[in-house]
Amino acid sequence: MNMNDMRSVERIVNSHAAKIAAQNVQVHYGASQAIRDVSIDILDRTVTAFIGPSGCGKSTFLRCLNRMNDTIPTCRIEGLIRLDGEDIYDRRVDPVTLRAKVGMVFQKPNPFPKSIYDNVAYGPRIHGLVQGKAELDEVVEQSLRKAALWNEVKDRLSAPGTGLSGGQQQRLCIARAVATGPEVLLMDEPCSALDPIATAQVEELIDELRANFSVVIVTHSMQQAARVSQKTAFFHLGNLVEYGDTAQIFTTPQDSRTESYITGRIG
Amino acid sequence: MPVHILCLILLAIGLAGYFLGRRRALQVAGGNAKLLHSLPAYHGWHVALMATVPALLLLALWLIVQPIYLENRVTGHLPPEMAATPADVSLAMSDIRRLAAGLETAVDAGVLTEEEVRDPAADPAALAATLKPLGVALGTTPTPQVLAAAREYRTTAARLSVARAAAVLAVALIGLIAALRMARVDLWARNRVERAVLGLLILASSVAILTTIGIVWSMLSESLRFFQHYPMADFFFGLTWSPNFKGGSELGFLPLLWGTMYITVIALAVAVPLGLYAAIYLAEYADPRLRAWIKPMIEVIAGIPTVVYGLFALITVGPFLRDYFAQPLGLGNSGSSVLNAGIVIGILNVPFISSLADDIINAVPQSLRDGSLGLGATRSETIRKVVLPAALPGIMGAVLMAASRAIGETMIVVMGAGAAAKLSLNPLEAMTTMTVKIVGQLTGDTDFAAPETLVAFALGMTLFAITLALNVLAVWIVRKYREQYE
Amino acid sequence: MTDLAANAPAGGRASRSLLVPSARMRRRNSAERRFRSYGLIAIVVSLLSLAVMLSTIFRDGASSFWQARLEFPVTLDAAVLDPKGNADPAEMAKQTTVTYGKLLDQSFAAILAAGGIDASGLTDKEIGAMVSKAAPAQIRDRVLADPSLLGQTITVDVLAAGRIDGYLKGRVTRETAARDRNVSPAQLDLADRLVGAGLLAERWNWDFITGPDASDTRPESAGLGVALIGSVYMMLLVLVMCVPVGVAASIYLEEFAPKNGWTDLIEVNIANLAAVPSIVFGILGLAVFINFLQLPQSSSLVGALVISLMTLPTIIIATRSAVRAVPPSVRDAALGIGASKMQAVFHHVLPLAMPGILTGTILGLATALGETAPLLLIGMVAFVTNYPDAPPEGFLDPATALPVQVYNWASRSDPAFIERSNGAIIVLLVFLLAMNVSAILLRRKFERRW
Repeated sequence: MNMNDMRSVERIVNSHAAKIAAQNVQVHYGASQAIRDVSIDILDRTVTAFIGPSGCGKSTFLRCLNRMNDTIPTCRIEGLIRLDGEDIYDRRVDPVTLRAKVGMVFQKPNPFPKSIYDNVAYGPRIHGLVQGKAELDEVVEQSLRKAALWNEVKDRLSAPGTGLSGGQQQRLCIARAVATGPEVLLMDEPCSALDPIATAQVEELIDELRANFSVVIVTHSMQQAARVSQKTAFFHLGNLVEYGDTAQIFTTPQDSRTESYITGRIG
Repeated sequence: MPVHILCLILLAIGLAGYFLGRRRALQVAGGNAKLLHSLPAYHGWHVALMATVPALLLLALWLIVQPIYLENRVTGHLPPEMAATPADVSLAMSDIRRLAAGLETAVDAGVLTEEEVRDPAADPAALAATLKPLGVALGTTPTPQVLAAAREYRTTAARLSVARAAAVLAVALIGLIAALRMARVDLWARNRVERAVLGLLILASSVAILTTIGIVWSMLSESLRFFQHYPMADFFFGLTWSPNFKGGSELGFLPLLWGTMYITVIALAVAVPLGLYAAIYLAEYADPRLRAWIKPMIEVIAGIPTVVYGLFALITVGPFLRDYFAQPLGLGNSGSSVLNAGIVIGILNVPFISSLADDIINAVPQSLRDGSLGLGATRSETIRKVVLPAALPGIMGAVLMAASRAIGETMIVVMGAGAAAKLSLNPLEAMTTMTVKIVGQLTGDTDFAAPETLVAFALGMTLFAITLALNVLAVWIVRKYREQYE
Repeated sequence: MTDLAANAPAGGRASRSLLVPSARMRRRNSAERRFRSYGLIAIVVSLLSLAVMLSTIFRDGASSFWQARLEFPVTLDAAVLDPKGNADPAEMAKQTTVTYGKLLDQSFAAILAAGGIDASGLTDKEIGAMVSKAAPAQIRDRVLADPSLLGQTITVDVLAAGRIDGYLKGRVTRETAARDRNVSPAQLDLADRLVGAGLLAERWNWDFITGPDASDTRPESAGLGVALIGSVYMMLLVLVMCVPVGVAASIYLEEFAPKNGWTDLIEVNIANLAAVPSIVFGILGLAVFINFLQLPQSSSLVGALVISLMTLPTIIIATRSAVRAVPPSVRDAALGIGASKMQAVFHHVLPLAMPGILTGTILGLATALGETAPLLLIGMVAFVTNYPDAPPEGFLDPATALPVQVYNWASRSDPAFIERSNGAIIVLLVFLLAMNVSAILLRRKFERRW
């Protein structure tokens, strides 16, 4: 057990249980090490923010949580990551099943070049979550409502998803992820390509999603982390420097590096 | 004087001009090269270009105009009945040229003297007999008029050749001297040379346009001649193809179009699945080391000349299809067949489709794949439901280009499809295509006055139009597709 | 957005273990494996077709580099070959190959008798037919070149007839011979005995590569020489005509062309010409170079002109990408110290782009070397047995080309020509391989990352 790990154990003060538990995770890209010895518990029904300067490994670590890094041939991962107590890198685990449980929303909105309806229906269809058109319609509507997009698009569900505005596209991607019925939702800088109004909408949405999901959000905006998250983890040069309640991290950081970053001296 | 000797002399003049120009420039600068606006070498180039370029242009022009002038002049000697139609003239002209060349050979070989050739009283039959052992085969004994015309042709050609050499060399020398006289300290030789070079560059890039004009002109003019002999509607809508050089041919285009299209469809049915799945595997599944081996190996297929595939169709695939499919199924016993040519063209087009599709699939943004994988889709679901629909327009473009190549393919169909024009559904039967008939009608003995020969130009024109249209459409679709992701 | 809290997540929340795949997941995974295997199958099928084609060609064609030859002494009877007895070449030339053929037949029969080789049941004509019809001319040429051989007994090394060669190579069997007018099973028996006596053997056959083509009845002496010279001439001419024009056009379009209608027209033309079927260029060559400009049919000059026009777009496309790959900083550096645009291009950009241009040129020439269809239309398919003269006059002589020779032989009826057709492909492929390998090596050597 290293120091980070001991500290994080002390800080589990939230009433919710740990959804994802990572222990001593190391990630290498070829010869270079991107993540060093990270251990963290991510809680259920909580928004956790990963912050840190660019290149600190926060996105890399996020992508480890649903094995998206498997698609990069040179990437090698060591350590233990458990979802509800099951090792997600176990040989018996199918990354596809895992990703159905741990959904992901990306930095740039990436709607498929299909209709809005088909975008949202994509997940339920491939996972066979629904039977019949009526049930699918219901899931699509519910997901779009959860993503706060229903009122804007209900009259043009067959229009292409790529025709929406940037903020709408990102909410469509969130609706698409929600429709699959995930237990954890990973968001990789979901607002970096959006204007302030769209950002506000998505942030409001993230707060509401907390009721049903465990949300992990990577952001380079400290204000955003402060606004939407309950727990914050600060990454620096591939290390998890500090992890704790958001309020505590932003007011009384324990580590001098965290303080430097929050006060704008490194970044 | 032969053209190549003339060219060598021009080259020598140019070389001399370069050195003279350099010396002259240094001379006017009093030996101090720093006084010159341009380096002495540019003065040298200036003189060399002034000496050779106008002379070469004159030579090129002369080479194009001389045959036309000669023909006009010589046909004046022909009796009206031999020059009634353009076809008659071209027939008579080829006799005249052959005879004139024969006379030239005879004089060179010392069989005939210059006087004997010029003798107006010479007997054409005796002359033909003299020429025969020299390998000059004349179809029939030339008439006195043809003989006279051939004499005229020969002497005029000889005179023109001397005049050509004189004119070209004169222009070269005038250029040389004028350029030398222009040499001054403040002559902007570099700028003048660079302008000339730029002109040459523009000329070179215009060759592409000249080629297109040449293609369109050559095929259009001969096609129009064909349509004077043969009604256009009968050609484009005729259901029978039975050329007969004795006359009474039926030259219906539809059986050829049917054969071409049938083969193209089979070729695409082979090439598209193979090429597309290969591209998907290489782009989405293969690890980079495997890809580095497999991709060049597939490209090898495209690097092998089509005549090799033709032989493969002729001696391997064709007999195989005949022995194991056509005969057991009672569908014919021909080694040549639509299926044979189609399959082999299909294989040839696999690398074409796979490399185009590979590019197109790689152009689909990774973010779409991540989006799909991030939702828990398998790779194949991602490819089938996200990547391929996104790449569809581009792939359609690639398929159209492959279709255009299959339609224009010649050697494989010449050797593997057969020569009988048929409208049949049986893929194991021999059928024929536009390209086969172009080769058939234009090789061997051809008579450029007969519709049976000229029809090849109409076929060529149609082929050109079809392939061009398909390509323009394909390029347009692919461009639209690329813009979507830029 | 108050309806959120009221809704359970879509799809239900019954959390399943990750470690136990569902039935649906198993189905999806097998679909995945199937899909993946289609890709592999496509690659395997394509490469297998290639492998089958190449192995058929090598299996059927490799033997054309070996040829059955007979070696036996012949007495050159001066009384027959030089009746006047003055060794005057002009007089001796009056003796035709028929005379030499008879002499050869007599000598051959004598050897059989002397060696005790049983030739019973065969007529003299049949025994004579074991020797190629090309042999008398071969002996005659040798004697005319060196009249001092008259009266001597020389050992000749002549081709065996095509069917005998086929028998030694396994193409002709006793069953096929029984149905063949040109050979009988008894002749094959004699061939066996000749092999046993060491008179008949398969030997390396340079004549296949260097000799001229032969008529339908003499496949054994048909060679690639004329076609090789024709192809070499054409490639030389293409190199001289096409490359300078292609490079000049590329430089203009990449470096100097203003953005206007004329430039667009050129661009569109180049793109479209690259996709025009090759046979159309053949029609162009026939109409423009032969019918209009009156250049000689079947000549390598016309062939090269047609191939040049065809190859031009390929060369231009390759050269342009090589020129484009030279970074603008190189041009800026040259212009910055007062070089003219033209000097910047010719002194700096062009030398740097040279390896790329060379690679593209070699690959373009490799394609050009294999081109067949347009050459058929300009008469290069003609039966040519005379070597073209040395350049430049030779460029106007009738010639054929390697790929055309492949087609020409393939369309003859005697199966011996199929062997030669495959053999010609092997020669063609060796050339293509050499060109491609040199292009790859060149690229490796000069590869540069900016």
